[in-house]
Amino acid sequence: MALMFRIFVPLLLCGALALGASPPRKAFPWDYQMDDFPNGLRLITVPTDFPNVVALQIVVSTGSRNEVEPGKSGFAHFFEHMMFRGTKRFPPEAYDQVIKEMGAARNAYTTDDRTVFYTTFSKEDIGRIIELEADRFQNLDYGEAAFKTEALAVLGEYNKNSQSPTQKLYEVLRDKAFDKHTYKHTTMGFLDDIKEMPHQYEYSRKFFSRWYRPEYTTIIVAGDVEPARVKALVKKYWSGWQHGSYKADIPAEPPQKEPRTAHIDWRSPTLPWIAIAYKGAAYSDTKKDQVTLDITSFLGFDSSSDLYKKLVIDEQKVDILYAYNPDRVDPQLFTVMARVKKQEDVPYVRDQVLAKLKEFRDKPVDPKRLEAVKKHLRYSFALALDNSEAIAATLAPYVALRRTPETINKVYALYDEVTPEDVQRIAAKYFQKDARTIVTLTGGESK
Amino acid sequence: MNKLLTLIPLLLLAGAALPAAPRFVELPGDSPLITFRVVFLRGAASDPADKPGLARLTASLLSDGGSKSMTHNQIVDRFFPMAVHVSSQVDKEMTTFTAVTHIDNLNEFYSIFRAMLLEPGWRADDLKRLRDQQINFLRVSLRGNNDEELGKEVLYQAIYQGHPYGWQNAGAVSGIKRITRDDLRSFYRANYTQSNLIFGIGGGYSPEFLARVKKDFASLPEGERVAVKRPAPHKIKGIRVRMVEKNTRSVAYSIGFPISVTRADPDYIPLRVAQSYFGQHRSSIGRLYQRMREKRGLNYGDYAYIEYFPRGMFQSQPDPNLARPQQIFQMWIRPVPPPVAHFTLRLAMFELNKLIDDGLSDRDFENARGYLSKYVNLLTQTKNAELGYAIDSLYYGIPNYNTYLKTGLAKLTRDDVNRAIKKHLRATDLWIAVIAKNCEQLKSSFLAGEPSPMKYNSPKPEEITTEDKIVESWKIPFQADAVEIIPVEKVFE
Repeated sequence: MALMFRIFVPLLLCGALALGASPPRKAFPWDYQMDDFPNGLRLITVPTDFPNVVALQIVVSTGSRNEVEPGKSGFAHFFEHMMFRGTKRFPPEAYDQVIKEMGAARNAYTTDDRTVFYTTFSKEDIGRIIELEADRFQNLDYGEAAFKTEALAVLGEYNKNSQSPTQKLYEVLRDKAFDKHTYKHTTMGFLDDIKEMPHQYEYSRKFFSRWYRPEYTTIIVAGDVEPARVKALVKKYWSGWQHGSYKADIPAEPPQKEPRTAHIDWRSPTLPWIAIAYKGAAYSDTKKDQVTLDITSFLGFDSSSDLYKKLVIDEQKVDILYAYNPDRVDPQLFTVMARVKKQEDVPYVRDQVLAKLKEFRDKPVDPKRLEAVKKHLRYSFALALDNSEAIAATLAPYVALRRTPETINKVYALYDEVTPEDVQRIAAKYFQKDARTIVTLTGGESK
Repeated sequence: MNKLLTLIPLLLLAGAALPAAPRFVELPGDSPLITFRVVFLRGAASDPADKPGLARLTASLLSDGGSKSMTHNQIVDRFFPMAVHVSSQVDKEMTTFTAVTHIDNLNEFYSIFRAMLLEPGWRADDLKRLRDQQINFLRVSLRGNNDEELGKEVLYQAIYQGHPYGWQNAGAVSGIKRITRDDLRSFYRANYTQSNLIFGIGGGYSPEFLARVKKDFASLPEGERVAVKRPAPHKIKGIRVRMVEKNTRSVAYSIGFPISVTRADPDYIPLRVAQSYFGQHRSSIGRLYQRMREKRGLNYGDYAYIEYFPRGMFQSQPDPNLARPQQIFQMWIRPVPPPVAHFTLRLAMFELNKLIDDGLSDRDFENARGYLSKYVNLLTQTKNAELGYAIDSLYYGIPNYNTYLKTGLAKLTRDDVNRAIKKHLRATDLWIAVIAKNCEQLKSSFLAGEPSPMKYNSPKPEEITTEDKIVESWKIPFQADAVEIIPVEKVFE
């Protein structure tokens, strides 16, 4: 029995991480090769030394943010589904046949700013996978009947998501907080738009032609690979893909001028939720706003924070507390979420969260606590990079934003520069009453 | 490592003649990430009859409570800069604690981790908080917010009623409320023993460090290596239906019956191939997915299983260390709109019948076998997964899982698979769990057995419309006294 396993040495990882007693200075420790093709396509190859397995992630910088026309919410996600509906050369059955032969795992996801198609497979299949993916990105071909059938699968996805009150909470929160920007709707889209999807075949072709273009696309390959070979394969199969011309005109969100609130009566018993959100900052690896808000989310609401210890551990009035501050192209929401055990405690919890945010505005944070957060961020990033798929998946969101892994090193260097004064300054800038939206949700049982 | 032990499945161990020393699964290497996977071979099946949930709560007090010398808050403060946390998983026969730390922090982390597992604090305020959390998991997360997982657990409860597996792993609300600190202490003393321990460790730790771990865990009581014998689940007669009435948009189904096949069984690999062909988890290559979602757009996906696979809606691969001496065959039909609910169930049963009658074609067989031979590489990409699979292999008495599967697949024939399907699978004597609104109406529709024709929003190929004619009148032999409806508020109470 082979319980003493083969040892492999991830050289790059060890070189970068094992030295010294503090976390690595360079957050993304792997060497990589970046290649730009004349049509605008970019390839990032990360040889990892984890044996046999290769992770391919194709990042299209298009998400629900790009859904600018009224009535078309949810379309980026719907289109992600359509990308599995085949080409003339590889109809879905033929595509599945290849996947079966390769024993590959594949799927995709869509969010505000990106759609990511990922496949993980054995290294000998790299050539076939790159060819197969090139084919569907350039030659996607589906009929109206298949389109209408897939629209029902999307409705099925909405239906299964609809069981979760937090999904509804985010839906209402975004709708309430944003007036003009497309972040007003979730990636799933509004239910009415989803129901209308089967009738949008023509629009779907337009969507593909606008956004599935090389200048919006970056291919990440991480794993047991030779960068030169990967480059040659991408050149061979993807060079014929034509550059597009469409540019999105994403409406800017006007400044919010008054605090907003909304309430949801959930249809069945559940514990009450409260979401307290402020208009946040866009992703940046040069300006400190977003990294400081990130650090503040840990300082204020992580399980190691004073407020968490008070509300969850000591008083036990809340059983879930966290802050959500996603990295996005345009300013998204900084949101504090709390699930409260008793409905009568909701106002108290709200006031506690607001008091904590006020405290960030009123006085600088403890420098020791700030250092602990920075250390946490470094180590949690290092701990996440433990296999090729995780490395590719970690890169994907950053690549969607800046098209280079270097942005990770810059952003982590920026975290290091954040001072207690920065935290106070940024809190004062963003945690303003007029930029606030509060949504509560209560269910039957707790009424 | 004691070679003798590796050859005898732990689930069959008779016990008395064997030493009770803890077992270690070691994956040394040069990685700066050190992974711990600590398994005790006791779980929810060892809960006292009047206190289901005790195993789960005991594990929570260890992973999310304080130790004797440190409060939970103090532990969080120390762990936070290292970005480590200890998580626990409780299944019927196994309780698992996992953590990954950077080698920079190994000594500091381990000194706390050791105390958490070996010197628990059993504080009253930790118990109060974690008891609430466990009750909220059952009532809110599972019962309230996740119809699909609820359907699966209701199916398990129906199949295993009156059996040690009859409760959800987190127990039942009434049982959880009865648990005292003395219960936790005595459960811990009886079950967290050297005999029950399999300690998995991987990464760039030193031999001296490992020696220290071994010495530390030798302080656990020795205990006895006692055979785990579970009764067979009761026989199911005909089609039995448990419907859960809930205010929800759609209808979720889980369908299944017990099977005697585990990884230790010669028919495991043949059935694994059949399962992959029929319903590979979250993949478009499975037959159910293709016929129900891809061709007909009925829902978001449809899959099949031969091993327990909780949290499937959140993850693409199963968690290890859910090993059991008995399993069920299960079909997971994701939520469908109420107007097509009856048709969907008929189609699922039609496909199950077809699988049993026709088996796999040569091509289907070669495809599924080829797929699994490579896919298995993806299951153990992390040290954590590698340790977990190694521990499960030790439990079942099989070699390294990848080797076991690949070697078995290489020798397999289509006839092996089709014979295993006929032997172990069936389309009758099974349970159907349903989560729906207006259960009475759906029940009437089931019992009346009238045709349930499908209408689509687009033209379908003749192959589908012809098949639909058969499916819309497909007879499922429901019996009025074998269809029960329970309000969701009663589940897990």
